[in-house]
Amino acid sequence: MDQSRIRNFCIIAHIDHGKSTLADRLIQETGAVSTRDMTAQHLDTMPLERERGITIKAQAIRLTYKYDDDKSYQLNLIDTPGHVDFAYEVSRSLAACEGALLLVDATQGIQAQTMANIYLALEHDLEIIPVINKIDMPAAEPERVAAELKQAFGFKDAEILFASGKTGAGVHELLETIVHLIPPPKGDPGAPLQAMIFDSKYDQFKGVVAYIRVMNGSLRTDDRVRLMQTKVEPDVLEAGYFSPVMVKSDSLGVGEVGYVATGLKNVRDCRVGDTLTMASNPATKALPGYASQMPMVFTGIYPSEGDEYPALREALSKLQLNDASLVFEPESSAALGFGFRCGFLGLLHMDVIQERLEREYDLELIATAPSVSFDVELTDGTRIHVDNPSKLPEPQRIKTIFEPWVNITILTPSRYIGGIMEMVTLRRGEYVKMEYLQPAQSDNAANASQDARVMLEYNIPLSEILVDFHDTLKSVTSGYASLDYRLIDARASDMVKLDVLVNHEAVDALSLIIHRSYAESQGRQLAAKLKELIPRQMFQVPIQAAIGGKIVARENISAMRKNVLAKCYGGDVSRKRKLLEKQAEGKKRRAKMIGAIEVPQEAFMAVLTLERQQVSRH
Amino acid sequence: MTRPAIEQQSIGLYVHIPFCETKCPYCDFNTYSGIERLIPVYVDALCEELRRWAELFPSHASRTVFLGGGTPSYLPPGDLKRVMSALTGGFPLVADAEVTLEANPGDVTQERASGWLDAGFNRVSMGVQSFDDELLTLLGRRHTAAQAIDAFEVLRRAGFTNRSLDLIFGLPQQTLQQWIDSLERTLELSPNHVSLYGLQIETGTPLEAFVRSGKVPQPDDDLAADMYLAAREKLAEAGYRHYEISNWALPGMESQHNLIYWRNEPYLGVGPGAHSSMLKHRFANMKSPRWYVRSLGFEVPADGILSLAGSQPRRPDLPKSTPGQIRAMVAGGPVNFVEQTTPSLELAETMMMGMRLDTGVREADFRARFGKSLRDVFSREIDQMLAAGLIEEDADGIRLSFDGKLLGNEVFGVFVAAAESMLLAE
Ligand SMILES: Nc1nc2c(ncn2[C@@H]2O[C@H](COP(=O)(O)OP(=O)(O)O)[C@@H](O)[C@H]2O)c(=O)[nH]1
Ligand code: SF4
Repeated sequence: MDQSRIRNFCIIAHIDHGKSTLADRLIQETGAVSTRDMTAQHLDTMPLERERGITIKAQAIRLTYKYDDDKSYQLNLIDTPGHVDFAYEVSRSLAACEGALLLVDATQGIQAQTMANIYLALEHDLEIIPVINKIDMPAAEPERVAAELKQAFGFKDAEILFASGKTGAGVHELLETIVHLIPPPKGDPGAPLQAMIFDSKYDQFKGVVAYIRVMNGSLRTDDRVRLMQTKVEPDVLEAGYFSPVMVKSDSLGVGEVGYVATGLKNVRDCRVGDTLTMASNPATKALPGYASQMPMVFTGIYPSEGDEYPALREALSKLQLNDASLVFEPESSAALGFGFRCGFLGLLHMDVIQERLEREYDLELIATAPSVSFDVELTDGTRIHVDNPSKLPEPQRIKTIFEPWVNITILTPSRYIGGIMEMVTLRRGEYVKMEYLQPAQSDNAANASQDARVMLEYNIPLSEILVDFHDTLKSVTSGYASLDYRLIDARASDMVKLDVLVNHEAVDALSLIIHRSYAESQGRQLAAKLKELIPRQMFQVPIQAAIGGKIVARENISAMRKNVLAKCYGGDVSRKRKLLEKQAEGKKRRAKMIGAIEVPQEAFMAVLTLERQQVSRH
Repeated sequence: MTRPAIEQQSIGLYVHIPFCETKCPYCDFNTYSGIERLIPVYVDALCEELRRWAELFPSHASRTVFLGGGTPSYLPPGDLKRVMSALTGGFPLVADAEVTLEANPGDVTQERASGWLDAGFNRVSMGVQSFDDELLTLLGRRHTAAQAIDAFEVLRRAGFTNRSLDLIFGLPQQTLQQWIDSLERTLELSPNHVSLYGLQIETGTPLEAFVRSGKVPQPDDDLAADMYLAAREKLAEAGYRHYEISNWALPGMESQHNLIYWRNEPYLGVGPGAHSSMLKHRFANMKSPRWYVRSLGFEVPADGILSLAGSQPRRPDLPKSTPGQIRAMVAGGPVNFVEQTTPSLELAETMMMGMRLDTGVREADFRARFGKSLRDVFSREIDQMLAAGLIEEDADGIRLSFDGKLLGNEVFGVFVAAAESMLLAE
């Protein structure tokens, strides 16, 4: 295809603002698939993604658009992951484009993810087309959202488009604008091949399939190519594009977007951001922007039943084939047995992986409370990383503990500012700035959506937003606020290790590394929670919380007094026998033994529900 | 009509009466209100079922008979008499057979009581549940404490010397003092037998829903334990023997019928949902009274409410070992559950039922039945539970300890799990 007839673009949108629906509409409008064959939301292929309304893996779809002058254009729509955990993948997808549609829901306005992604798009010098979507909705306030776009990003009235992915309104104009405004790709067809990998996934039959954007040169089937970072040299088993089904084509030329099947067995060999070049005639330099991603959040994942350990290992390995950012290594816990310490890009990534393990691989799991990776400087001058609380050295060996901090952006109606400040302060957050995106519509608005909209920025330890931050934010703001975060630095912190002892035995899987200021209060809460969760035994069981060996809280689970079937007659024998069998079995299955005590799975989750209490700072 | 028991196998006979005037909110028994029109044809079906079993088990006699429910006293005495003659016609009573009728206080009149004696009953078990009118209302019972006291007296005057009564403790809102008062009024009536049941909140009952929604407070387990201890003390003082976890009797007045269950001896149950244990199999009838009636060849009265709603009970999967007699009642009768009592199940059930008794599992009985001593089979479990103080052991056998009675499930569970993990030759 003639370079001047190619347009590469993506859609930037907050979750639920209608990206997938609009993509479907574009596909339909350009006739890529017949309406009949179209399953809703082509771009999301994994069922889990569809359910959660997020896109984990970027894909690209080629649309053929006949413009009014009767010339055909090749439009490549590159799908970007919608979530900050996948920020690096987003940045690579953006690097494959010359333009972006900025999609904003006419009933919602700009949200935190919109902000984050638009700044990324601007960094990549993309032509941005603002589109206000869902104008068919009765609650739509297109003018108001337009005002917001003008104020926040300096767009002009004439630049803003209005559309509805649902009804198709405005979509034709949108396609024309894409052709008009987005520049065709630059690049030298005669230069040595440089193609950027913006995504890769493992396919059972084709091996690793790389999604690429050809920057310079071209490639054909059977070419031997080289990955400039990993130095692997696979053959191009197949090249082509998605329409949205896979279509083979012999070659991919400069400016084009498509896929290459490599036959490689692991996505680690073919990482996002790497440059593909020709083995026989390599480019002298790789494309800029390659970065390897570091996990930020860690948790211990254990099978509920010890004999599922091999199945868990197998499942993690399989997921890793397709997810180069998932890391895991074996670990063992006195309480939970054998399992894995897993590292994730972020909270959502962690949730998604856990859910896939349970759902797609039918595993029953126990996960320990998530932790960040602490950088610990020891008294002997060495530095170690600790991502598992039970591995923290003795206090006397520790000089300083550094913990990662993030910068968070919260967009909210003004009435919730107080509540947000309070929750952020409780979590050691530091105020950075506050900006009004848009004034209030009335002084005394009944509805939060008519409030002034405010952008709040804080710095806060990552560990403080790991567990319940998002949920608390939602409840503090009745769901109106949106949140985004990015890693900034690591700072020295007064962290301590909180241990829990059940019947005088320390339970490693319940240890936490936690800020000293509320370690004691959380220790008390944890002991009280465990008291509720651990069933009574035949003897009294003490539960203690300790900081650095000093007991700070104690609860007693009193001995069980009564457990007997009152009635057992002729009609009950089979049923009651089965009940007793189940009880005996259930004890084995769903609980872990700490000494002689059965500790149910929920107990290991108790840490997730602790509340922060206001503490006085001395 | 009593025949001597020589050369006959004598078994327990249970007859289920699935009718109640209203359904109590805590009850999960197979019983219904509002289907009284079914009663006449239901009695026909019962008689037919008894007749068929008698044909299949010709030389069997009744050692005990128990009409339970539901509310057997809710049936007209004439119907009860019909059932009894069908029963004794097929399974003659052995001498001194215990024949029990369950009765609700509200159903007891002088006239009916005489009718019951006439039909052959010699024992009445009365469901009093509580002697506190407020708690009776909470339980959804239709009688008052005063009525219960009168009814018990009416039974005595009519000539029932063997009278039992049931109470429930551990009720939401019930205080220890209320319970002690109920116990004292019980003793004033001098029953020869008392059953005291700790309330169990059964899934699917309205009471469970009330507790879950917070309308009724969750009963306090520790308080229930205190109530049990108080009862144990009071009844012991009054000379009752605590012969099973929830049952007390004056010496010699233990329920012979229920002892059959706890000693894991054979019994036959008739009526919907009734269970049996015969020929090394446990089996049970379908639960729906309507389908039950139909399975025995009777037409269910055509009537909106009584139509055969719900799907037909499914044919059960039969173990290969199923004896012909049971097969016959699956093919052309109401049986729709059959389970083989393998040697390890027999062991599990003998332990789980036997340990409920004050005599526990007796060495001699165990040896006669399994050809081994208790210690041969359960040495490790016995030691483990002795150490926990849950059981006691002597030359006669093993039994729950004083403290172990409240923690029986811990003991039963250990034996059941151990027995079932044993591979025993059939
Ligand atoms: N009324 C209306 N609803 C829309 C429109 N676009 C999307 N939706 C609805 O908004 C929800 C989120 O849309 P989706 O395309 O999945 O959003 P994504 O998360 O950005 O991909 C879905 O329930 C859609 O049916 C639109 O133009 N009009
Ligand atoms: S009377 Fe007895 S059987 Fe009938 S519903 Fe009440 S508790 Fe259940």
